[in-house]
Amino acid sequence: MAIGLFVECFINGLQMGMLIVLMACGLVLVLGITKIFNFAHGEFYMFGAYITFYFSYSLFKFNYGISLFFSALGAGLLGWLSYLAVFQRIRGSLLLCAAATIGMSMAFRQGALLGFGTTEKGMPSVFPGLINIAGYTFPREKIVAIALGLLALLLLFYVLKMTKVGKAMRAVSLDAETASLQGVNVNWIYGLTVAAGCALAGVAGGIMAPILAVTPHMGHRSLLLVLIVLLVGGLESLLGAILAGIGIGMVMSFGFQFFGGISEMIVFIIIGLFLISKPGGILGRVVEV
Amino acid sequence: MSLKSNEGRSKQIALCLLLIILILIVAPLTGLVKQYHLHLLIMAGVNTILAISFLMLIAVGRITIGAAAFWGIGAYTSALVVTNLHISYWLALPMAGILTGIIALPVGAIILRTPGMAFVVLTMVVNMVFVETIGHVELLGGWVGLIDIPRPDPIPIPFFGTLKFGGKIPYYYLMLFLLTLTVVVFCALYQSRIGRAWRAIKLNERLAQTLGINVWKYRLLAFVVGSIFAGLIGSFFAHYFQSLEPKQFTVFKSVYIQIYGILGGLDFYIAGGAIGSVIMTFLPELLRGIAEYEPIFSGILLIMLVVFFPGGIMSLAHAGFVAENVALIIKTLKTLPLLNNLRKKG
Repeated sequence: MAIGLFVECFINGLQMGMLIVLMACGLVLVLGITKIFNFAHGEFYMFGAYITFYFSYSLFKFNYGISLFFSALGAGLLGWLSYLAVFQRIRGSLLLCAAATIGMSMAFRQGALLGFGTTEKGMPSVFPGLINIAGYTFPREKIVAIALGLLALLLLFYVLKMTKVGKAMRAVSLDAETASLQGVNVNWIYGLTVAAGCALAGVAGGIMAPILAVTPHMGHRSLLLVLIVLLVGGLESLLGAILAGIGIGMVMSFGFQFFGGISEMIVFIIIGLFLISKPGGILGRVVEV
Repeated sequence: MSLKSNEGRSKQIALCLLLIILILIVAPLTGLVKQYHLHLLIMAGVNTILAISFLMLIAVGRITIGAAAFWGIGAYTSALVVTNLHISYWLALPMAGILTGIIALPVGAIILRTPGMAFVVLTMVVNMVFVETIGHVELLGGWVGLIDIPRPDPIPIPFFGTLKFGGKIPYYYLMLFLLTLTVVVFCALYQSRIGRAWRAIKLNERLAQTLGINVWKYRLLAFVVGSIFAGLIGSFFAHYFQSLEPKQFTVFKSVYIQIYGILGGLDFYIAGGAIGSVIMTFLPELLRGIAEYEPIFSGILLIMLVVFFPGGIMSLAHAGFVAENVALIIKTLKTLPLLNNLRKKG
C-alpha cells in the first residue's frame, strides 16, 4: 500500500514538525523581541519533558493536561530566573550570548544527568489505541500531539496579536526606547518574553514525553534541528519558522523512510547549499548581529 | 614619552617570553617533571594551538563552535594515511595540515557568506556532520574508532643522534616545536598587512569594505589558516594518543576550546589562548575526585566569565592596569589627610 505508507510518513512528519515548530517559535520569539540567542533552549524542552514524566506518571499520577500546565510553568519559571541571572546582562551581543548560553546548556544537561539519572525514562502512552480517519488508521497519540501543538501555537498567536501584553511585546521588538516612553516596562516585557519562549519549549517537552524516551540529552539533540529550521525560516519570522519546521519535519520523515540514517546528513548539506543562495532564509531578511 | 615606555615594556615582555620558553625547554631534562605532568603539559600545548586557531576567527569578528571538526579531520587523515598506506609520519604530518586546509577552503567559502548568527550555527552543523560521518562510515573507524595508531618513526637529528618516540619527552619537544611554529606564523600574520586588514574588519566590517578590503576573502584566509594548524596538531594528537574515536571531536570539545579563549581573554590572540588553555587543562585534573560535576563547574565558570569578567585573565595583566590602580590608590591616600582636616574643622 503505497498510499498508506505515504500517509503514515505524512503524519510522522507532521508530528515531528510540530515539535520542532514549537521549539523554534519559542526561540524566534525570544530572539525577535529581546535579541537573545538561546543555545540552552533545548534544555528547557528536556526540563519540560521530565516534569511531565514525573508529574503524570512516576511521582504523582496527575492528569496529563495538568502536568502539561506544570511543564509550561516550570520551564517558564526557570527561563525567567535565567533571564534575571544571566540573559539580562548579555542582551544584544552574539558572542556573549553564544558563550553564556552554551555554558548554561552544559551545566543544565550535566545537572539533569546527575539529578534524574542516565537511564532513558519512558512513560506509557496517555492516549493509546488507534483512530480511524477517512479509511486510514493512525495512532491516537500522534494525532493528539499534533492537536496540542496546534493549540499551543494558536494560544501564542492569540497572546501576541490580540492582547495588550502582546501589543507591548511587539512594540518593544520594534523600538524598546519608544515603547518605554509609552509606559511599557521594557525589562518586565523582556523577562516575560523569555519565560514565554521557555514555556513553549517546556510544553513541547511535555507533549513529546509519552512519545519519545526522556533522556538528559534529548534537548541537545533536537536543538540542532531547531537551529536549522531557524536559519531556513528566517531568524525573526514566526511564520517562516512554522513553514520551515513543518517542511523539515516532512523531509526528515520521508527521508528516513527511504534513505535510512544517512538522510539527516543529506538534509544538512542541502540546507547548507540553500543558505548560500538565500542567507536570510525563506521569509527573513539578513540580520546582522 | 609613551613610545619610550612602550619600547621598554615590549623589551620586558620579550625577556619574560624568552624566560618562559627556556624553562619549557629545560624543564623535562632536569627530571623534576613527572610523566603525568608532562602529559598534562603536552595536552595544554595541544589545547593552546586549538585555542589560538579559534581566536584567529575571533580576530576577524566571527565565532566558531566547530573548531574540533578540523582538529578531527587532521587527526583522522594522519592516522588513516599512516595505518593504511604505511608512509612515514613525517610525510603524514604536513599532509594532514594541507588536507585540512583543502577541506576547510570550500566549507569556509560556503559558510562565511552567511551573517554572524547563521555562521555560528553552521559551524556547529559542520562539526556534527563530521562526527556523524566518521561514526557511520566503517572505513573511517565507525563509532568504535581507530586503535593502534603507530608512534612517529625515529628521526635522525644532526649533532644529536636518532630521536626515538618511546617516552613522553620526544612528544613534548615535538609539541613545543609545533607550538613555536604556530605562534611564529600567527604572530607574523597578525603583524603583517593581512593582520591590519583583519583588525579593520573586526572594528567595523562596513568601513573596512569601503576601504577596499574584501571582507569575505580575508575571513576565508583566517578560517583556512586556523584550520590548517588545527589539522597539524590533530595529526600530532592522533599519534600521541594512539587511538581515536568520534566522541573526542564533538561540539563539546569545540565549546571547551571557546572556554579556553574566553578565559584567557578574547582580545589577546596568542597569550590569551595559551593562558586559558593551560588553566583549563590543569584545573579539571584537580577536580578529578568529582569528575561528574566537572561540566557543571565548567558551564558555570563560562557563564560567570561572560557575565562578570568578559575581558578574560589577560585583561588583568594589561600593562596599564597596575599603573592605573597604583595611581588611583595614591590619589585616594592623598585625599585622606584632607578629609581628616575637614572632619576636624566640622
